[in-house]
Amino acid sequence: MANEAFVQSSKNDFNINGGQILLFYIDDILYGIEIQYVTEIIGMQPITVVPGVPEFIKGVINIRGKVVPVISIRHKINQPEIPYDEKTCIIVVELDELTVGLIVDRVREITTVLPTYTCSAPDFKSVNQNQYIQSIIDSNGEIKQLLDIHKMILE
Amino acid sequence: MSRFESGMESMVDMFIYESTSLLEQLDQIMMKTESNNKFDEEDINEIFRIMHTIKGSSAMMGLENMSTLAHRMEDMFFIIREEKPVIESIETLYDIVFSSSDLLKAEIELLQDDDSVPTDFSAQIKKIEDFVVYLKTGKMPGAEDTPVSEKSEQPAEDEQPQGQAENSASADMVRIRVFFEDNCEMENLRALLLVNKISEYCRELKYEPASIETDSSTAKQIIENGFLIMFNADEEDYQHIIREIEDAINVKSYEIVEDEEIPAAAEEAAAPAPETQKAEPAPEQKKNAPEAAVSEKPAEKPKTEAPTPAQTAEQINNKLAQKNNHASKGKQSLISVNLNKLDQLLDMVGEIVIAEAMVTSNPDLKGLKLDGFQKASRQLRKLTDELQDIVMSIRMVPLSGVFNKMTRIVRDMKVKLGKDVDLVFEGEETEVDKSIIDNLNDPLMHMVRNSMDHGIESSQEERIAKGKPAKGTITLSAYNSSGEVIIVVSDDGGGIDCQRVMEKAKANGLLTKPEEEYTDKEIFNMVMLPGFSTNTEVTEYSGRGVGMDVVRKSIEKIGGTVSVDSKQGEGTNFIIKIPLSLAIVDGIEVSVGSSIFTIPINSIKEFIKLKENQLFYDTSKKEIVKIRNKCYPLIRLHEFYGLEPKSHDIYDGVVVLVESEGKSACILVDELIGEQQVVVKPFSPMFNRYNIKQKGMSGCTILGDGSITIILDISNIIFDN
Repeated sequence: MANEAFVQSSKNDFNINGGQILLFYIDDILYGIEIQYVTEIIGMQPITVVPGVPEFIKGVINIRGKVVPVISIRHKINQPEIPYDEKTCIIVVELDELTVGLIVDRVREITTVLPTYTCSAPDFKSVNQNQYIQSIIDSNGEIKQLLDIHKMILE
Repeated sequence: MSRFESGMESMVDMFIYESTSLLEQLDQIMMKTESNNKFDEEDINEIFRIMHTIKGSSAMMGLENMSTLAHRMEDMFFIIREEKPVIESIETLYDIVFSSSDLLKAEIELLQDDDSVPTDFSAQIKKIEDFVVYLKTGKMPGAEDTPVSEKSEQPAEDEQPQGQAENSASADMVRIRVFFEDNCEMENLRALLLVNKISEYCRELKYEPASIETDSSTAKQIIENGFLIMFNADEEDYQHIIREIEDAINVKSYEIVEDEEIPAAAEEAAAPAPETQKAEPAPEQKKNAPEAAVSEKPAEKPKTEAPTPAQTAEQINNKLAQKNNHASKGKQSLISVNLNKLDQLLDMVGEIVIAEAMVTSNPDLKGLKLDGFQKASRQLRKLTDELQDIVMSIRMVPLSGVFNKMTRIVRDMKVKLGKDVDLVFEGEETEVDKSIIDNLNDPLMHMVRNSMDHGIESSQEERIAKGKPAKGTITLSAYNSSGEVIIVVSDDGGGIDCQRVMEKAKANGLLTKPEEEYTDKEIFNMVMLPGFSTNTEVTEYSGRGVGMDVVRKSIEKIGGTVSVDSKQGEGTNFIIKIPLSLAIVDGIEVSVGSSIFTIPINSIKEFIKLKENQLFYDTSKKEIVKIRNKCYPLIRLHEFYGLEPKSHDIYDGVVVLVESEGKSACILVDELIGEQQVVVKPFSPMFNRYNIKQKGMSGCTILGDGSITIILDISNIIFDN
């Protein structure tokens, strides 16, 4: 199975080489994003609402004098919003000079994933819900879904 | 910059900066001489020096085309200086100099592109060469009319390397051996640049190896033995020279050579040899002549300077000691800084201002009695205020640079249109933020062209008939007024003909209300509508009906406004109002529900608590507010942005009367919070595709407590409503 994944997703560096990912939870499901994009993880901040932008953009926050938009991952993967608690975190990522905060329920750890554990996501095209999944990682008996943050933020 | 090796970027930047300012200087000199109608010796020397520097530095950058063009220009001025020909067609000379300067500027512009190719200047070079031939052949006899100057200079030049140099001079001369940084490459050209820089300070100057300019193999010699400069200068100039050497790029170290009698003498002997060789073939080999002249140029100078006594080794030592004492103090007083760094600095200061407010008005401190803390925080506030002022002042640039560029345009148009016009500056020392200056050039240029082309009457008779001086005047004036800079471009021409503007507007379908209802002011401002130009003929300079429209757009882009005022027969004024700085805005914070917005103070007219008899509804059930017999549309900000207000009752909230671009409206907010100077932060590029600028948000800002507010753009809110 791993081999098959290797062939299918050869366009993706991560799937070939593996790498480090940051694991976080939405509800009890584990998701991951590639660590190369992550600049920091901060606690929940007061968010300033910006009128006139789509609902998934919750507003802007102040990170050391920089005004950074924040996105709700929950909203992006069509999960109902829940109130923020002390475990809610903002993962700050940087993509092509664009800095964005991602709101997640809680973060778990950074882990190294070997390519053999990685298989590409099934072809979900019709299922809107899973359009941001880049690949599925199966290691230590746990399933993690690696999110394609390029797609999630820029589309 | 693919035309240059990597690692050379900083040098390219330096080159661009230096050459641009030199060319601007050249334009100014030419403009000055043109209005005075004569060249001073000093002007010619200055032009000569400029071309020489450009030649040297562009050769160093490997820009052969620029270097050749500069070289030819230098040759031309060499002839003008040395032979003093009577130039009959002085216009041709001006044309050549201006067009060459334009070509060089354009080429420098090109350098900033990645894949530009060197432009071929051969046509221009041919023009210069032809003119040189004309100068020489046509006016050779003229040169004989001034044999006195020729003769007096000639022997001086001859003497220097031989008689003088060998007895007295060799003892007086300070010898400095300069070493360049390892691997800096092209040492000979760097040495040449250095020589050019110091040459103006010395009475006598020699260097070894002497043929640095023509012989690139000297680079190797310089690497091995260093570059030996021998000069003779006054005490003050001596300091300058040492400073120049210290400041020169790529200089690793230098040493002052003393008591090196024997080798020095040998060098002395060696040095004049190539020098004289060079001087001899000068008449035939014109190419070498200017170089030789430059190295000896200082010899012409000492007319006014009294001959100083010989400088003994002791004196030199004294000077050295002095120099070391003043080393820190004596550095040059101007530096050029990358604009990005200044932007960063401004950002940092913005941060500090915010952080200071976060500390001193921290909620944790509430109710505590902290005398020492209060005192210390007042001190901190004072310092941060000063810091902010200084940083803002660093970014301020006088308008004179932009104004001076207009001189050139007026000059060119004067020739082409055959109108005699004076350009007058007032208050050109007024300063504005650098980011604004950069956007002012084009609009001002359009306006000056417009005034030249449409404003000033086309014939002097017409002007005299109206009782005006035959010579037209265009005035550029600038002054500060309540946080804004006002720039007025005025001409004493025919003024705007309301009748014609009206007809034209009608013909172009630009009228939005009945003809009779237009006031003069509105009619004047119609000239700035897109697709409007009263000139029936399209000229080279204006008349395409895009000019004034573009002016308005670009001024509005930097947050300014343009208006027109005119009196028929007396002239026209274009009035530009621009903010002093884009980065910091005075604003009033207002709250709507849980959100806070900042409204720029310059668009607020007043705040009103509404009474019941002030509210009406129009036919489409829209709310209208009546204030002192004037009616304004009411915009409920919470509805506009879809927010939940504190109270839906209009009488609980505060109405802000705002005005922008001549339109007014009332905006309903929940509460006023306070006034604050805020640092404008742009929105994340992520928001660009949601068009939030159109929705009346121009940026955001961070308040003292770290929270973010959105700065409203009143003109878009009024428009969008």
